[in-house]
Amino acid sequence: MRDSFWHSLSLKTRLALLYGGLLAVVLCLLGGVLYLNTRSFLLDATAKRIRAQAKPVIEHWLYPAEFMPPLWGQSPPKTRNSIDLERIASFLARDLTSRDTVALVLDRQGRVLAVGRRLPEEPEAPSPQPFYYRRALAGENEVNYTTWLNRRHLLVLFIPLRWAPGSEEILGVVQLSTLLTPVDKILFRQRLVLIVGIGLALLVGAALGLFLTTSVLGDLTRMVSTCRAIALGNLGQRVNLPHRRDEVGELAQAFDHMVERIEASFAAQKRFVANAAHELRTPVTVLLGSLEVLMRGAQDDPTLSAGLMQNMYREAKGLSRLCEELLDLSRLDLSSHVKKELADLETFFSSYMEKAALLAQGRALSLEKGPSLAAELDLGMLEQMLNNLLDNAVRHTREGDSISLGWNQGDGWLEIWIADGGEGIHSQDLPHIFEPFYQGMRGKEAGGTGLGLTLVKAMVEAHGGRVQVESEPGHGTRFTLFFPLDGPQED
Amino acid sequence: MADRPFQGTKESFWVSNRGTILVVEDERAIMEMLRVGFTYEGYEVIAVQGGREALDRLQEGGVDVVVLDIMLPDVDGFEVCRRIRSRGWDVPILMLTAKKEIEDRVRGLDLGADDYLTKPFSFDELLARVRALLRRSGKKSEAVVLSAGDLMLNVETREVTKGGKPVRLTPTEFALLELFMRHPRRVFTRETLLNRLWGYEYVGDTNVVDVHVSHLRSKIGDRPPRLIRTIYGVGYAFYPET
Repeated sequence: MRDSFWHSLSLKTRLALLYGGLLAVVLCLLGGVLYLNTRSFLLDATAKRIRAQAKPVIEHWLYPAEFMPPLWGQSPPKTRNSIDLERIASFLARDLTSRDTVALVLDRQGRVLAVGRRLPEEPEAPSPQPFYYRRALAGENEVNYTTWLNRRHLLVLFIPLRWAPGSEEILGVVQLSTLLTPVDKILFRQRLVLIVGIGLALLVGAALGLFLTTSVLGDLTRMVSTCRAIALGNLGQRVNLPHRRDEVGELAQAFDHMVERIEASFAAQKRFVANAAHELRTPVTVLLGSLEVLMRGAQDDPTLSAGLMQNMYREAKGLSRLCEELLDLSRLDLSSHVKKELADLETFFSSYMEKAALLAQGRALSLEKGPSLAAELDLGMLEQMLNNLLDNAVRHTREGDSISLGWNQGDGWLEIWIADGGEGIHSQDLPHIFEPFYQGMRGKEAGGTGLGLTLVKAMVEAHGGRVQVESEPGHGTRFTLFFPLDGPQED
Repeated sequence: MADRPFQGTKESFWVSNRGTILVVEDERAIMEMLRVGFTYEGYEVIAVQGGREALDRLQEGGVDVVVLDIMLPDVDGFEVCRRIRSRGWDVPILMLTAKKEIEDRVRGLDLGADDYLTKPFSFDELLARVRALLRRSGKKSEAVVLSAGDLMLNVETREVTKGGKPVRLTPTEFALLELFMRHPRRVFTRETLLNRLWGYEYVGDTNVVDVHVSHLRSKIGDRPPRLIRTIYGVGYAFYPET
């Protein structure tokens, strides 16, 4: 449930939330560590200061001989009894007590021997906590803890009183408690700075993050709206982000490039359909008009109807041929229709020339054999390509002209060519002859569909090859088909 | 389906005085269809394939209407149209356009064409437009009253009288009689009569024609030797003078 809610948020919101959350966690951790560090440093410093202040006082009362040596004559013997803790406790406590620090002197049993507090403005001393007290009694020097008494924050320190400096034997313990008000003030300021600082950093971070995600994802949003516009049929739309060189810019560029290609192929498709419809106009006009003329009564007169019927037959036949070639062309878009088989060219051509003779219509047909060669080809397609080229050659030559065909082995290519000595192709027509429905004036008169050469090109390209045409007006035309020779070959 | 009125012919339909049409079209099959179609309908057809030839032929005169294709090998149809008008010739022009684009039509009409049709077009439609152009140009007036002996038919008032007495005909009988009277001596097969009166898409027995012809004969009191004669094994024909 929570997961789906998370995914229902927009990428922008999710990124902003993640970014903001991460920033908050990092800042809080950092602030917390910093704060705790400061706090322990301040407490430590306070304890050290108080201990440092206490040290000479304690030494003064416990070990007076070490303070006033030779001047006072003999030093007292160091015996257990020479330090009367109960006697000096009140002096010790009094001297250790100041405006914000109060001392208690405790004996080994935990009894309070003396309290340093005399003046009312001096803070009250908390009763010692046995846990810490015992640790001090066991000889631990630095026992500190904080506590609250009457709503005042206090630092409590224990100092063990030793028989002699460095001695293991402990007479009692001094408890010093000091007000933490100045430390707390500093810490409060620190907390304030941290909280305000973190808050400000989060705000700035969030604003920056929002700006970043908006600038990154805003362009994505733009792409989405472009996509929608394109889906509605406006193929002229582009995302157009030339200023961006990052991943989003690359995506936009790739996208624009893709749409460009789609638009071009769409336009080509549209042109093709328009051209195809244009090709249908004449036959349909002839068929419809002729039928009407016949039905109006021309059918009753054989001299009139015969010509119309012939016309209609010719046009209908042209239509059927157009249909077939359109189907072929649509199939060739999938090059998977190419069914290659290993074929010996000499065998293929010797059988093809017999069929070609039927199409040649009185042209002088000749075969120029190339090297003995076997190649991987779709023979059905090869035959259709040659038929189309031959048909084209026949339509652009006169009876008695020569048409020759043959093959050759080039550098990694099998070249199959067909050349005629006909009228040739005008140089301004030459770049267009493979376009669907492109026909010179003669081609139209000669009854081609305008798809024959387009099919040849599509078929040879489906083989991974290409077609080349050379022509000289008045002298003839030569088409060469190039097929890649990557299959097994022999000499 | 009532046939549109057109002028009566003389001896046979291929000798015509209905009008001369200059057809400018480079597609041979379409040209052939138009030539046969117009000829059968009684027009004289002059067929040319290019714009220059068309202008040369117009120079000689005697053309009542021009049917002009836009796609021509030499000078295109728009240019031919423009030149015809710039020379001050007012012959009606009907353009055949290959495209449906409005600019094409507007351009054609701007250049002085009187009408246009887009390919593929119906021949009937073309014929109707050509007749309308001829009628508007007033070159070839059409007979409103047709007569044969004491039989009179008025196309506009749709009245038929025999010896001065009115004859009541159904629309189909009227159309049949008008068709016969406009094409005296032409032999119509039953199929052709079916096509022209009942429409090209009518499918049925041709006996229906015989039934209507016999009704028509009895209503106009047609007795042997008949005006509407049965041509055995072929169909019917109308002979005004007996």
